[in-house]
Amino acid sequence: MRSIDDFVALVRDELGLPVTSETVGTGFDELPGWDSVHLLALMVVLERETSRPISLPDLLEAPSLAGIYELAAGA
Amino acid sequence: MSADELTSLHRSGRVPAEFPRVPRLLDGATPDELARAGRLLAAVDPGEVLREHPGTPVLKAAVTGHGTLSGLVPSLTAELARHGTLLRPAASDFDSYVFDLSDPEGFAGDADVVLCVLDHDIVTGELPVPWKVTDLERVLAEKVSLVAGLAGRFAAASRATLVLNTLPLPRSVPAQLVDHRSRALAGAAWREANARLLRLTAEHSGVVVIDLDPLTAEGVPVTDPRLGVYAKAHLAPGLLAAYAREVGHLARHLTGRGKKCLVLDLDDTVWGGILGEDGAEGIEVGHSPRGEAFTAFQRVAKQITAQGVLLAAVSKNDLEPVREVLRDHPGMVLREEDFVRVVANWRPKHDNLRELAADLNIGVDAFVFADDSPYERGLVRRELPGVAVVDLDREPAGHPGALLADGWFDTVELSDEDHARPARYRQEMARRDFLESFDSIEEYLRELGVTVRMARAASRELPRLSQITLRTNQFNLTTRRLRQADVEALAADPRAFPLAVHASDRMGDNGVVGAVFARRDGGTVHIDNFLLSCRVFSRGIEQACLAALLRHAKDTGAAEVRASYRPSAKNGKVADFYPRSGFVPVAEDEDGTHFRHDLAELPEPPEHVRLTTDFEGTPS
Repeated sequence: MRSIDDFVALVRDELGLPVTSETVGTGFDELPGWDSVHLLALMVVLERETSRPISLPDLLEAPSLAGIYELAAGA
Repeated sequence: MSADELTSLHRSGRVPAEFPRVPRLLDGATPDELARAGRLLAAVDPGEVLREHPGTPVLKAAVTGHGTLSGLVPSLTAELARHGTLLRPAASDFDSYVFDLSDPEGFAGDADVVLCVLDHDIVTGELPVPWKVTDLERVLAEKVSLVAGLAGRFAAASRATLVLNTLPLPRSVPAQLVDHRSRALAGAAWREANARLLRLTAEHSGVVVIDLDPLTAEGVPVTDPRLGVYAKAHLAPGLLAAYAREVGHLARHLTGRGKKCLVLDLDDTVWGGILGEDGAEGIEVGHSPRGEAFTAFQRVAKQITAQGVLLAAVSKNDLEPVREVLRDHPGMVLREEDFVRVVANWRPKHDNLRELAADLNIGVDAFVFADDSPYERGLVRRELPGVAVVDLDREPAGHPGALLADGWFDTVELSDEDHARPARYRQEMARRDFLESFDSIEEYLRELGVTVRMARAASRELPRLSQITLRTNQFNLTTRRLRQADVEALAADPRAFPLAVHASDRMGDNGVVGAVFARRDGGTVHIDNFLLSCRVFSRGIEQACLAALLRHAKDTGAAEVRASYRPSAKNGKVADFYPRSGFVPVAEDEDGTHFRHDLAELPEPPEHVRLTTDFEGTPS
């Protein structure tokens, strides 16, 4: 996962969510199809992809998928 | 698995169109692959799949419990998709199981199953700090009494099957006690609570309790500490996935699609080596390390088939040497009489399987096929998509685990009929040989001496009646499945009269082979469903029973008898069952064709059937 485009593709293929590079910054409240279940699955997927642990409390506070990407990429 | 193929179907939006292929795509998927597949499939609207494939089985599941369970829905979706079934989930709010189970009507609605997922936190979350074993005993007793009471009320009020589970015991609970004596007592109290939960299944026919201990014993972690603490997901995703697998098989049974026959390859599956090359003396079975591994597998196969599962062999071999081994080899556990049919020839296995299905009068989708050869398995997978294929490898010690990894033959409850089933199928093969010695079918039927008794179902027969509705697909006029609790309710309804059909002939007793669900409403008798086991079609039993029921209706003052035929993928051969006995179609709607018989002219019962009836019955 080297860019936010890779991240968008990952979310689409791993979670089945119809996210695009335009909607990746949309707040979770507004994001079609978003459910908190996706967050837990996404954590597992991201830890596998980056081989680094991610803080779940931080993840829970992220406002959008783009925010999660920053956490995972910057960790 | 073809994980990539599912991804590309998802990307192109073709999952609904290709849904029938999904079970094969998920064949052999790893837990990670299944988890991912479940997320993709859960994003698909079941309605879209039903528009493309209207006959797809659907399970309506209402999910409740204590912790965060949203991760269960994708797992369930994947496990049901393995069986070609769609999930319509209704997930409840967090930790609302007490409220939900107290309101069966409101919560369960028309759900087929209610999954109430219990976890250790319902107990540990209420322990004081510090706690002693006596505190643990008290909370366990309170919680189990609560769940037992909820389950009892729920089972009495709802037709949905309630699925509970035992409380797994993570090491972090007893490890908080530093003395071994307290730890042991804590463990005992925990197991006693679980034993009480498990025994609820004996009290309520509509309750199933899944024991999580055997799942965690295989190395599935109970908890994921971060998910537990931060997300209140007290059970780890892997354990929920293993739980979902058990529910998938339960759903298969409840939707009437349970597997009926285990088909085994022989060389390197049932014994080690190649009989054709090594000879009877050279094959490995019994007294050698590898031989004992094959013996162990045979013992498991024999154990399964003692519970109503048919066993057959399909092997590339000459028949005679195979029969010799089955008859004479001292190391064999399985013998010729354990098999309903031994097919040994050089034809492709899928052809043999098709023929075997026709002989047994069951669908190929009722087969589970186990073989050590990837080539044979691949061919069967390709040619017969409905067959469940068990992958055996070159290590026979793994054979029992591979066969038992999926509960293909799971059922809620066995009846007496199950234990007798394999013998009855073997009798049926003998009947066939008997048939071939006659010039005409009429002459055969006269000689067969068919005796039928149709009587008000006794209470001990109610589980069997439910089972007939769950197992029978061909001679099933409406394909409405009834749980045991449904049949019990009918038996208690003064207007309904569920009838059990027993049959026997000179070859032996067939047991309860059919069910007629009738009901009186003023001057009308309704036949809500009419079912007959596929073993006994076309012997006049069905015509004799229907004629007798019409006669009874007329004699007791009914003005008409009404009945319906609801088409399914498998019951086409009984579409004209009612018209052939003088019923006239009066309406047609999405529930099928509705018929009426005015009782003016009654059909003649077949002469060769000796029928006795008892419509009043004596409760027993």
